[in-house]
Amino acid sequence: MLLPVFTLKLRHKISPRMVAIGRYDGTHPCLAAATQAGKVFIHNPHTRSQHFSASRVLQSPLESDVSLLNINQAVSCLTAGKLNPELGCDVLLVGTQTNLLAYDVYNNSDLFYKEVADGANAIVLGTLGDISSPLAIIGGNCALQGFDHEGNDLFWTVTGDNVHSLALCDFDGDGKKELLVGSEDFDIRVFKEDEIVAEMTETEIITSLCPMYGSRFGYALSNGTVGVYDKTARYWRIKVKSAFSTHALYISVSETSVLIIEISFQSKNHAMSIHAFDLNSDGVCELITGWSNGKVDARSDRTGEVIFKDNFSSAIAGVLEADYRMDGHVQLICCSVEGEIRGYLPGTTEMRGNLMDTSVEQDLIRELSQKKQNLLLELRNYEENAKAELSSPLNEGDGQRGIIPANTKLHTALSVKLGTEKQAAHVELCISTSNDTIIRAVLIFAEGIFVGESHVVHPSVHNLSSSIRVPVSPPKDVPVDLHLKTFVGYRSSTQFHVFELTRQLPRFSMYTLTSPHNASEPVSYVNFIIAERAQRIAIWLNQNFLLPEDTNIQNAPFQVCFTSLRNGGHLYIKIKPSGEITVNTDDIDLAGDIIQSMASFFAVEDLQVEADFPVYFEELRKVLVKVDEYHSVHQKLSADMADNSNLIRSLLVQAEDARLMRNMKTMKNRYMELYDLNKDLLNGYKIRCNNHTELLGNLKAVNQAIQRAGRLRVGKPKNQVISACRDAIRSNNINTLFRIMRVGTAPS
Amino acid sequence: VGVTSQKTMKLLPASKHRAAQKVVIGDHDGVVLCFGMKKGEAVAVFKTLPGQKIARLELGGVLNTPQEKIFIAAGSEIRGFTKRGKQFLSFETNLTESIKAMHISGSDLFLSASYIYNHYCDCKDQHYYLSADKINDVICLPVERVPQITPILACQDRVLRVLQGSDVMYEIEVPGPPAVLALHNGNGGNSGEDLLFGTADGKLGLIQITTSKPVHKWEVGNERKRGGILCIDSFDIMGDGVKDLLVGRDDGMVEVYSLDNTEEPVLRFDLALSESVTSIQGGCVGKDGYDEIVVSTYSGWVTGLTTEPVHKESGPGEELKINQEMQSKISSLRNELEHLQYKVLQERENYQQSSQSSKAKSAAPPFSINDKFTLNKDDASYSLILEVQTAIDNVLIQSDVPIDLLDVDKNSAVVSFSSCDSESNDNFLLATYRCQANTTRLELKIRSIEGQYGTLQAYVTPRIQPKTCQVRQYHIKPLSLHQRTHCIDHSRPMNTLTLTGQFSFAEVHSWVVFCLPEVPEKPPAGECVTFHFQNTFLDTQLESVYRKGEGVFKSDNISTISILKDVLSKEATKRKINLNISYEINEVSVRHTLMLIHPKLEYQLLLAKKVQLIDALKELQVHEGNTNFLIPEYRCILEEADHLQEEYKKQPAHLERLYGMITDLFIDKFKFKGTNVKTKVPLLLQILDSYDQNALIAFFDAA
Repeated sequence: MLLPVFTLKLRHKISPRMVAIGRYDGTHPCLAAATQAGKVFIHNPHTRSQHFSASRVLQSPLESDVSLLNINQAVSCLTAGKLNPELGCDVLLVGTQTNLLAYDVYNNSDLFYKEVADGANAIVLGTLGDISSPLAIIGGNCALQGFDHEGNDLFWTVTGDNVHSLALCDFDGDGKKELLVGSEDFDIRVFKEDEIVAEMTETEIITSLCPMYGSRFGYALSNGTVGVYDKTARYWRIKVKSAFSTHALYISVSETSVLIIEISFQSKNHAMSIHAFDLNSDGVCELITGWSNGKVDARSDRTGEVIFKDNFSSAIAGVLEADYRMDGHVQLICCSVEGEIRGYLPGTTEMRGNLMDTSVEQDLIRELSQKKQNLLLELRNYEENAKAELSSPLNEGDGQRGIIPANTKLHTALSVKLGTEKQAAHVELCISTSNDTIIRAVLIFAEGIFVGESHVVHPSVHNLSSSIRVPVSPPKDVPVDLHLKTFVGYRSSTQFHVFELTRQLPRFSMYTLTSPHNASEPVSYVNFIIAERAQRIAIWLNQNFLLPEDTNIQNAPFQVCFTSLRNGGHLYIKIKPSGEITVNTDDIDLAGDIIQSMASFFAVEDLQVEADFPVYFEELRKVLVKVDEYHSVHQKLSADMADNSNLIRSLLVQAEDARLMRNMKTMKNRYMELYDLNKDLLNGYKIRCNNHTELLGNLKAVNQAIQRAGRLRVGKPKNQVISACRDAIRSNNINTLFRIMRVGTAPS
Repeated sequence: VGVTSQKTMKLLPASKHRAAQKVVIGDHDGVVLCFGMKKGEAVAVFKTLPGQKIARLELGGVLNTPQEKIFIAAGSEIRGFTKRGKQFLSFETNLTESIKAMHISGSDLFLSASYIYNHYCDCKDQHYYLSADKINDVICLPVERVPQITPILACQDRVLRVLQGSDVMYEIEVPGPPAVLALHNGNGGNSGEDLLFGTADGKLGLIQITTSKPVHKWEVGNERKRGGILCIDSFDIMGDGVKDLLVGRDDGMVEVYSLDNTEEPVLRFDLALSESVTSIQGGCVGKDGYDEIVVSTYSGWVTGLTTEPVHKESGPGEELKINQEMQSKISSLRNELEHLQYKVLQERENYQQSSQSSKAKSAAPPFSINDKFTLNKDDASYSLILEVQTAIDNVLIQSDVPIDLLDVDKNSAVVSFSSCDSESNDNFLLATYRCQANTTRLELKIRSIEGQYGTLQAYVTPRIQPKTCQVRQYHIKPLSLHQRTHCIDHSRPMNTLTLTGQFSFAEVHSWVVFCLPEVPEKPPAGECVTFHFQNTFLDTQLESVYRKGEGVFKSDNISTISILKDVLSKEATKRKINLNISYEINEVSVRHTLMLIHPKLEYQLLLAKKVQLIDALKELQVHEGNTNFLIPEYRCILEEADHLQEEYKKQPAHLERLYGMITDLFIDKFKFKGTNVKTKVPLLLQILDSYDQNALIAFFDAA
């Protein structure tokens, strides 16, 4: 059993995920963490801080070894590390919704202070790919930016949605680090500099990522899942009891605000922070997870087995490692949101894999005997079964004991149902038994398509029958595995047989085949050439769409037409003998999904695509115009504010003068004016706030557009599109931007 | 060993002090197994053939000789074995029900089934008693020390009944339904009259049974919300010359209490096992000279907790094992497993083949579920405990009444709620619990609303092939938050509901059973019956007196009467019985109930307010550096911050529940007057938001 080597209780709250340890003076490790009211505190147990006496830093009144740093804005991310290789000490980096500050704690000076329009939700520091100097990479709304120590913007790219977590990891084993990005659209993307090399889809928002070793990395989701990936393959994952909101109220709240409620109510349990650390000294890092209910556990990187756990009284804010006692041993440091900090020394090698109370042998014996017990039970079940078979023929009374004909089979069928007045269009899963037995209930475990992780159909006693229809409507175009558990028995049974089977829901199950002529063709299209036979394309169609029966597809050229069940939009796929494929749809995301799906199915590495989405492009054009507008409004408002603050200063002086002169009437008037002005300022602030959120929303839309344009291409053309689009936006050349999106290359 | 029942493991007395003892255990398959430990391995002494499920196992023998004869109760039969495993007695009792509890003392045999108690002497029927409620345990004060035979029954209605012959001498009320009885120090203490009891809601107590009246000595509450007590033993594990109390609970807790100078129990240590502890005894099994606590758990594990020889301290840990033996044990187990696996594979194939033929049938193999559905007095919620002998895969909870599922810290299963279309399928709650590997026990907490009744069903699927599932049903009664009590405050203002009509005693009893928990299903003997109940949430009372053709229900809470009225008339209509319902409403009672609610509501409001302030105050503290500038009240909040937050977290939605009760009260009050005041409810809620007791009472009076 591992006991903490030190426990500290700081009387400051720590905001979740915002803790870092750095050697700000070059030698002594100090803990920096964001606390309430836009402050960052630095805990320095080693030197009684004489040098923190400047204006920005003030001594905490509560503890002598804690100093506070005023940021005056809600801190959204924080890290520490070596940004400038020439400078001997670590730099503290603090990100807020609008700015990034690189701060040299030792010298009390700003290295740089940058405005970042996309906000900084996550930050990571380190070297990326071939870029020589260390970068501070921040992830904001759909955008990633990397700064060097002078504040130069050396890296920029876009991603699919708001970034929630970042990590650097040698993903492909070439000795250079790649950037892992976890975002709000449940995807983990891997960037090799600005090229996306891999994408993994998870089932929830990725809240944390951490490199383990080699190409292995850990991740945590907001629904309480933690796991380990090795390259693109998931090694293991576990889901810990999660999502238990006692009030139904919170379920309906949007995704982001649910997160906030989770943290403040702590009714949901999810991983707050993950970290890789070799706790049992076996040479391999374990995944350490800090949970929102105050639990800390260490799991083996291979199996996910818990090898160590401890409990805090409040949620964990961060898990770190550092030689905090300066004795040459690196400790694992866990911080809770209430400011409790515990340090653990890794176990000695003798204790290898033996961090729990009970001995391994004891556990092994228990496990083996349990297995034996299970097998014996199973054996007994079969014997009982054989006995039952010999007894009298089947009658209804047997149903009570759960006896059903052995040849009972379960049929499942997936089909597309068009919407009626009562029910929206959906995919229907039909489950039926092969005889007179009834289905008492169906449990469907599948992630990402139901509110929870499962869906239950439990008909009332009067409506029991031998078949059940379950409507399923996946919100996203991803393939889903449906794990079905069906309880089969008779009406009066108290014991049921459980039939378990797995059905896969194809990627584009929410599209139904319609005849081509009754629907008008969408004007938007993508056009590309894949040198494949028509039969192969037919196979792809069969695998990815729910076709009524094995639709017979003749030789090229042919065309198929689908209607979306979500919004009724049309989708045409036309194949010409030359291998030229045209996809007509108004939905640019869908076009991107189809291209990516085809590219992976036919193993196409590079694909240049010609695309035109007039409606979408028109919207984008409007958005770009709006961005310009908001920018100018922003500037105007800032100028107004500066004016007003000057006015306030003079009014205040005048008022005080009047008071000293005992001219109460003037003083009163001045203070009245001041009050009015203050009201104006507050109003102005509200306007600025609104303006800013609008601006952010529009910028996000722009970033998303670039990402979508990229997704229409595969491989090298994709990266070309993204970087060319970026250049076009930089030079504010809107026409070029649209040309790039259409053709895929920059006009030379 | 297979699944075991409560009190089915004993240690055979040793020939000399501190020599290794042998363990006898009986399981649900009817097998009695006796084994000793040799070099860390279990060596069986004897094993009987399977038979009926063994409900109890006791040791007996001629008085003042070593008690080494083994008696088991299985079905309605009592069997006796010598310590070598020879059967010397088989005695078929004339009980119609199967035996639930047994006590043996010399040649006296005390048996009880669900409601019947029998006393046999040398297998001859001596006395007989029919209890009003279920009997959980039976014991007799030591015959050699107390002049007359005094059997004591632990009954489900929170009463210990002390008998004399076939008659009740007196009844003792205890704080919860007693589940287990034991003699203090194993012999009844100094006077031979001291009796220990453990209740199903986790309380422990000592009572002296004198010939005329009981003397309560002490009671230990259950503050930490642990499980119900299943077994008690007295053994000097600490080695200080005084016998300690060993307690096993149904949530797997093993506790050791030692008695201090004033004879008060002090908790010395506790240990959590993963399943419910069915039997516990102190003794010496593994190694000569070291005392151990031997426990058996529900799914048939026998564990020894030893006084660790490494530290001479009596800090008990896991059994000491020598590595090599371990290795050989593991390898032999592995071999056995492989063999079994092969066999199972073959059987599985057979099974697959049989499913091809059309004539064959396949039976869902039964497995045993140990379940408990009880009302917690402290937070007025139900807890449902499910325990299966193998690992649980998932549990589906379905309910046709609106209920809330609460989170339980101990349970680690992943919950997922499913949307339900309540109209067509009568589902109000559908939730799945997906369990982690090796979970054999699942605990759920459920909050019900009075007046809403129906059934809760749990579909349990264990992780075993072929996969099957079992359904358990639990009734949620209309007055679900009521609990039996035996004393009632008659000075309260009461509302009365009187039923008259052509119905039999059994019928009216069945209605009461339908409405209220903790009422015996069998109509009690006698012409007229009185039951008292208390609302666990509001502390209001209900008195029900009924006999053939008449029933009178009195409560100080109008809502209770209103619910009863609705349910009873509905039930009667269903059976086509003509009922005359008359009621008498006492206006003062409404005010009285509001007064009862008042302190609770005020406390909750204050708590909520304080908790809201904590964060802001803390920030001020950080900003200003000290708290001297704050008024004492705020400083006090800051000091108690942790405590307050904990309190607040413990009772989620408590306030909402209170609001709900007040609203019900309001509506019910006027329902009896024949006016519908639903439109005024928003006004009421407004008053509640800015709560003031007088304003509320005024509103009730005025409307």
